[in-house]
Amino acid sequence: MRRLEMILSRLVWFVPTMAGLVIIVFLISNVIPTDPVRVLLGENATAPQIEAMRIKLGYDQPVWVQLARHFRDIVSGNLGISIYSQRPISEDLISRLPATLELTLAAITLSVALGIPLGVISALKRNSLLDHILRVISVSGLAIAAFWLALLLQFFFAMKLGVAPLNSRIDGFGPTPVTGFMIIDSLLDWDMESLHSALSHIALPALTLALPAAATIVRFTRAGVLDVINSNHVLYQRAMGLPPGLIVWKYVLRNALISTVTQIGLIFGVLVTNAVIVETVFDWPGMGTFAVQSILQSDHKAIIGFTIWIGALIVIVNLLVDITHSFIDPRGTR
Amino acid sequence: MKRTILALLAAIAAASAPVVAGEAWAQGKYVHANNSGYDNLDPHAIFDVGRAASRINFYDGLYRWVDNPPKMIPWLAESHTASADGKTWTFKLRKGVKFHDGSEFTADDVIYSIERMLAMKKGAASLFLPIIAPGSTKAPDKYTVVFTLKEPSAIFLATVPEILVVNSKLVKKNEKDGDWGQAWLARNVASSGSYKLKRYDPAIGFVGERFKEHFAGWGPKAFDEIEFRTVLETNTRVQGMIKGDFQGTDGYLPYDQILRLKEAKNVQILEAESMRVFYFSMHNGRSLMNDVHFRKALAYAFDYDGFIKDILKGAVARNPSPNPNNLWGAPKDLKGFTYDLEKAKAELAQVKEPLRPITIGTLAGFSETEQAAALLQNGAKKIGIEIKIESAPWPVVQSRMQDRDKNYDMVPLWKSTYYVDPNNWVGELYGSRYIGTRNSSYTKDAELDKWIDEALATNDQEKRRVLYEKAATKVAEQAMGIFVYNTKWYGPYAANIGGIRFSPIGSGQDMRWAYYK
Repeated sequence: MRRLEMILSRLVWFVPTMAGLVIIVFLISNVIPTDPVRVLLGENATAPQIEAMRIKLGYDQPVWVQLARHFRDIVSGNLGISIYSQRPISEDLISRLPATLELTLAAITLSVALGIPLGVISALKRNSLLDHILRVISVSGLAIAAFWLALLLQFFFAMKLGVAPLNSRIDGFGPTPVTGFMIIDSLLDWDMESLHSALSHIALPALTLALPAAATIVRFTRAGVLDVINSNHVLYQRAMGLPPGLIVWKYVLRNALISTVTQIGLIFGVLVTNAVIVETVFDWPGMGTFAVQSILQSDHKAIIGFTIWIGALIVIVNLLVDITHSFIDPRGTR
Repeated sequence: MKRTILALLAAIAAASAPVVAGEAWAQGKYVHANNSGYDNLDPHAIFDVGRAASRINFYDGLYRWVDNPPKMIPWLAESHTASADGKTWTFKLRKGVKFHDGSEFTADDVIYSIERMLAMKKGAASLFLPIIAPGSTKAPDKYTVVFTLKEPSAIFLATVPEILVVNSKLVKKNEKDGDWGQAWLARNVASSGSYKLKRYDPAIGFVGERFKEHFAGWGPKAFDEIEFRTVLETNTRVQGMIKGDFQGTDGYLPYDQILRLKEAKNVQILEAESMRVFYFSMHNGRSLMNDVHFRKALAYAFDYDGFIKDILKGAVARNPSPNPNNLWGAPKDLKGFTYDLEKAKAELAQVKEPLRPITIGTLAGFSETEQAAALLQNGAKKIGIEIKIESAPWPVVQSRMQDRDKNYDMVPLWKSTYYVDPNNWVGELYGSRYIGTRNSSYTKDAELDKWIDEALATNDQEKRRVLYEKAATKVAEQAMGIFVYNTKWYGPYAANIGGIRFSPIGSGQDMRWAYYK
């Protein structure tokens, strides 16, 4: 019951959170010294054309009127028209969302697959040479800038070794989009060539995003395992003669992962942010490259649309994390 | 289920196998890495250099620019005549031209295309809005189009290739709420052009398939498919060329990247002097900047040789006037300014107004503009002029340039070729008729206006040449801008590609002529 209350309360907070985000982003975009109407019409537009379009788009109205109109549009699902592509922004974002989600989910999976076992090993072998090495690697992983790591991986794996593609999401345009996830669509088409291509293309960008994330997971898992491993229930399990592997991977890990799961939720936000850079370097046609193009073109509405979508995505992921958290550690929801 | 899982595992195992560079490209396919996105395919909505490939390869105009120096060849039109007053232009159209859907091209399509441009007021429309009234273009018969201009315009013919013709019946079928088919044409192609649209994803780019029935015919080894992909990151484009993933990329890469590509055996760099003048736009309509002595002091304070020889490694050609050296109308004997601080001080001594800090707006992401600004800042400091540099993305800079009050004092930038006529440079940049649009120098000089207007009103080429030479000389000598160089185009292509016909319009992306050797 308390779990349901928690979910409802989070959903209620979703509205003011998003409203706050919209207001902040809208005001910031109004401070940028660009005239969206001039950008829309291009350098050749005459003053009367500019004025006519300004009135048509409502840019002649006071800021608060524009903001109110903006809220009305968002509620009706209309994020406006992109100045650059001259298409509905929602359409652009929807078409690019699967690419970003596919990359982010691959990175999360990779970082969890790397981070949790290494965190456990690091805790079990604490203060050993292995622990020190893992610690150095994880601190380095946190310190490395995503764009630099991306260039490094590209240079080494794509250019020097030639074992991975340099850029893009797939050779050519890939299978007919059904879900928009190349890996899933390749499987749905039973097109093994496309699947091979999709998996090999996602490897480097996912690794770029996953390495810093894995470093965080290693650190939190290590701390969690160290915290739990000395507790009484572990001592009891040892005394009962349970195999050490079972104790660690089943009982210790379940309790140790509580803070790690929370971190994974936070990491998701970081991954989406880093995806803006990583997608650009790897020419990954997701929301990140859309954001970069929108920024380069000073496409205000597109930037606002992107920010709202990412904000909503992060809020939803955090809600999912809270729900997962309530299952792993049900104490707070009983 | 078990078989599915086994197949999945097999596929994942196969995915870990080494990838051979370039193996995905079929014979006869050309892949180009472009530095900006193909967000919209509507030929009447876009007009920027970065998205030229979709316009050139999918669409045809009445005439077409090819080669360098650029020449205009008859394309959908076979010939034209102009009335003595320069206001009536009659084009005889080619017969038997087919659109991609098999329907026949006629004069109605040309009329629909120009009316669509005028109604949408986007892209290249600004070239025609001042001179063509909606409804004024007529078709006396199926293969004749008559443009009746509001006023004589000597540049009209040079801009005719920008009237790209759409299949009017097909577009009309897809019009929605009087939108002239804009929503549909943003994602589709309705044309008679060299390539048919095969695949399009705004996030990725497009694939064009050779239109075998194209009226101009084909060479024996023309590409069957062309793929233009968006690759924003310069380093990725360059590495992709070296790796063999791409067979071509943009020809205006930073010169250090060109040097990298020159070392790759599988890449050839084609060189040509383009028509893209790098200059400092100056706000001539503002105090201090409207003093010729102050402007001259700044012009003498810029180290031209240092910039061209040291920073740009001699990769460009000095161009002392607003008109490109390689175009008629460029003054032949003009020496231009040199870096001379003594002369700069002498000019500054004649300035009566008190000095104030000067603001230069540079284009974020275009390092040359930042380097040029820093160099001028250094020179100006030595003669006592303080310069502040503000960097911003192009749309921000452009917005400010179009606003007399918000404009920077100076902006280093390029003027590209939109049509091959001196008016594209000296006319648009310094003619007061263009203030608020392409004249962001806010120059209002009666003598210049007289020459520019006269040159626009006559079709006498020799007379026009003299007028533009005089105008360019005056602009340069009075330092209405600081004119630095004319860009060289370094087109990176795979070593086994031939037939590239570079033209400053289209920047070597007109792929119908190219082939694998």
